[in-house]
Amino acid sequence: MSFADRRPAAHAACTNCLRRSWLLAQLSGPLDFICSSPERLVDLLALPDEKLIEALAGRRRSELHSRHAHFSPSELTPAVGVVEICRHDGRYPPTLRGALAPAMLFASGDLSRLSRLTTHPMVAIVGARKPTDYGIEMAGALARGLAASGVTVVGELADGITQAGQDGALQTGAALAVLPSGVDVAPPARQRSLLARMQRVGVAVSELPCGSPRRRWSTAAAVRIVAALAPLTVIVEAEDSEHELAGAHIAHTLGRTVAAVPGRVTSRASSGAHVLLREGASLVRGAGDVLDLLCVTGRPAERGDGELDGLEPRLRAVLDSVAAGLDTPHKLIGGGEPGELLQALSELEVLGLLARGDGGRYVPSGALGGAA
Amino acid sequence: MLARAHTFTIDGLQPRHVAVEVDIRAGLPAFTIVGLADAAVREARERVRSAILNSGYEFPAKRITASLAPADVPKAGAAMDLALACAVLAAAGQLPRECLSDHVLFGELALDGEIRACCGTLAVAQATRQGNLGKLVLAGAGTHEAQLVEDLEVAPAERLSSAVRVLRGGEPDAAPASARAPGPGRTAGPDLSDVRGQHHAVRALVTAAAGGHNCLLSGPPGTGKTMLAQRIVSILPPLSRAEAIEVTRIRGVVDSIAGELVTQRPWRAPHHSITTAGLIGGALRGSLGEVALAHNGVLFLDELSEFARPVLEALRQPLEDGRVAIVRARHSTIHPSRFMLLAATNPCPCGYAGVGERCDCSEAELARHRRRLSGPLLDRIDLLAQLDLDGARELDAPATITSSRARELVTAARERQAARLRDDGAALNAHMDAAMLRRHIRLDGRGDALLRAAGERGMLSARGQHRVLRVARTIADLDDSPRIRACDLGSALALRGDAGVAGRRVA
Repeated sequence: MSFADRRPAAHAACTNCLRRSWLLAQLSGPLDFICSSPERLVDLLALPDEKLIEALAGRRRSELHSRHAHFSPSELTPAVGVVEICRHDGRYPPTLRGALAPAMLFASGDLSRLSRLTTHPMVAIVGARKPTDYGIEMAGALARGLAASGVTVVGELADGITQAGQDGALQTGAALAVLPSGVDVAPPARQRSLLARMQRVGVAVSELPCGSPRRRWSTAAAVRIVAALAPLTVIVEAEDSEHELAGAHIAHTLGRTVAAVPGRVTSRASSGAHVLLREGASLVRGAGDVLDLLCVTGRPAERGDGELDGLEPRLRAVLDSVAAGLDTPHKLIGGGEPGELLQALSELEVLGLLARGDGGRYVPSGALGGAA
Repeated sequence: MLARAHTFTIDGLQPRHVAVEVDIRAGLPAFTIVGLADAAVREARERVRSAILNSGYEFPAKRITASLAPADVPKAGAAMDLALACAVLAAAGQLPRECLSDHVLFGELALDGEIRACCGTLAVAQATRQGNLGKLVLAGAGTHEAQLVEDLEVAPAERLSSAVRVLRGGEPDAAPASARAPGPGRTAGPDLSDVRGQHHAVRALVTAAAGGHNCLLSGPPGTGKTMLAQRIVSILPPLSRAEAIEVTRIRGVVDSIAGELVTQRPWRAPHHSITTAGLIGGALRGSLGEVALAHNGVLFLDELSEFARPVLEALRQPLEDGRVAIVRARHSTIHPSRFMLLAATNPCPCGYAGVGERCDCSEAELARHRRRLSGPLLDRIDLLAQLDLDGARELDAPATITSSRARELVTAARERQAARLRDDGAALNAHMDAAMLRRHIRLDGRGDALLRAAGERGMLSARGQHRVLRVARTIADLDDSPRIRACDLGSALALRGDAGVAGRRVA
């Protein structure tokens, strides 16, 4: 590809849609003020341009009205390697069309990959920003299983469950991330490698024009796109709070299927997931349950059970104890013989059935999550 | 009239011979000291004058010039007072000049003529013996330390007048009685039986002590990390004679009160605000750092993640080589630093990571904590001793093991290691290099398969595999097993040091 080809040409999207995207970037400041209530933010973002200016612009109202009227696409600088798709474009993800549809999607990555990923069944894996080891393992195992079955795992680029989910999905397949900033803006250092891999194998999209910084409101707005994009939203671990459950509530309002992974009933980190389950969300124990919900035919054979069946009884016993919450050698050994037990733990770790969490704690990993 | 006396100045760990030359000429009364003397040496003029007068001698009212040779070596400390005073007396004709030539004079003078002990007595005694410089005259308090050197004539002198008597060929003063009976060192300090519960961590600590492995204690606040660490000295075997001499020499350089042979292994626990120079040495010319003071003992770093990153990075060479080379523009020195590193840390900044939902650290805080611990230093930690909140609640539980029993186990395991490694010049499993590992480590089929699988899974680097093998060898030694069994290797793998910090909060 020659240099001239890589240089961004004129905007491909229609002016009205570009104008909407530009306006959101202009209103970032006021939007930050109201983002403490996710519902209100979603309502506001559904307003047409003129009403949005009236509602938010304050003293800049007249100025923004005139700039809005005289908007020209050249005010948005297109970035290299970024594809613009407006909602009138044929390549716009069909599941996203609806009341909450963002006017523009800026995508980085391969365009054909985007259309492929968005035509595959999509599942959003979302949840707590500060999960426990259990939540991370579950999200990772779930995403690995789904991605291997050809499902596109969707999530906003954020700490915690979504990150664990996307990380898992990229290990076996592809994922789609919704960014809270322009797609060309550098993410926080701890998400840099994830985003780089995402752009290599998956796709990252954003409704904001290139160069827009990450804001509080845009993180909440990304949640709404994720919920709208995927027909099925799985909450892996979430506290019972408006913010942690925002994605589930939006998905529910849009008529999407909501599912949740249970935790221990005493665990605060899973309390939100339990509330959803009580309210009628589908229960998810592993990738198989999700595939059932999607009614995907030809689901792959469960690998976990077979693998665990072949496990020696002594290893099986240790694995069960760890799964029951005995997560340090101290608790596991009790009064027993340490050498045998530590050997069993090491063998399980080598088999990939156990992993080490913070401070060296043992966490059930991989196959166990998929086996359910 | 010219007189020459012999003494030493301490430069880092090395004593340097100094010839004190005093010349007395007619002229206005003056006392000048030349030869790169520091403030303490220049102030010796006042101490020497008063001590001579108060001891009943005459201080010559003439022009006195003292030269400290070699002139280009900086001299520090007050230990040259005695040599200066005696050289002045000899130059003034109050003492025969010849008698100075076969004596080394080492001590600080009080104004009333009393001789005080100085730092570095053992080092000076060794240098005196090596240089065949004759009899060592020093303060009574340093006698026992100096007498550790064989074939050296030591003459204790409490006052300047006694020193003059010794120089004239008279009897030295009687040495003060020894503060404690010489003999095998008792286990001093707190006992391991105080620790209740935490049997896993206690076992890991005993393993670390047996093989001299570097060990990381990890656990939530209040679970007894520091308590456990403080008890490691009580389970280490006593110093051998050669090691004890080394330790006494090092301690004597910073601390004149050592006085006797040190029998207990050094235990150094610097606060986390320590600077690089404080840890490694070299703040002033050749000054000793904590790593040298911990030689043949234990260096304990509590709250490892709070130490400054450059300070931890600087530990790499001492840990690897057992010595630290300090090189400055006009000065270079090598200090011994073969110690066992013991570190303690919380699993996260708040300390409760992994304990249900008690942890309230943000992802960024966790990432920072992990970054600070991980990397090159963690690569040199062989063992992870995990402490547990539940373990800390078992206050009624019987003690896992007492210090004396643990010490027996450790001593027996160390004897087995020493017997095996005798021909290789090492004494501990922790000091085995790759060639020795190849020679002495045999795995059974299951152990071999386990290790290979762990390597393929990316759990272990090549260096990590060596560490696991060393620890496995120690666990087998503790059990008196000539071979490394699969359970020894499995335990070593479960206890590997980097498992505690490779937390995968971010999956």
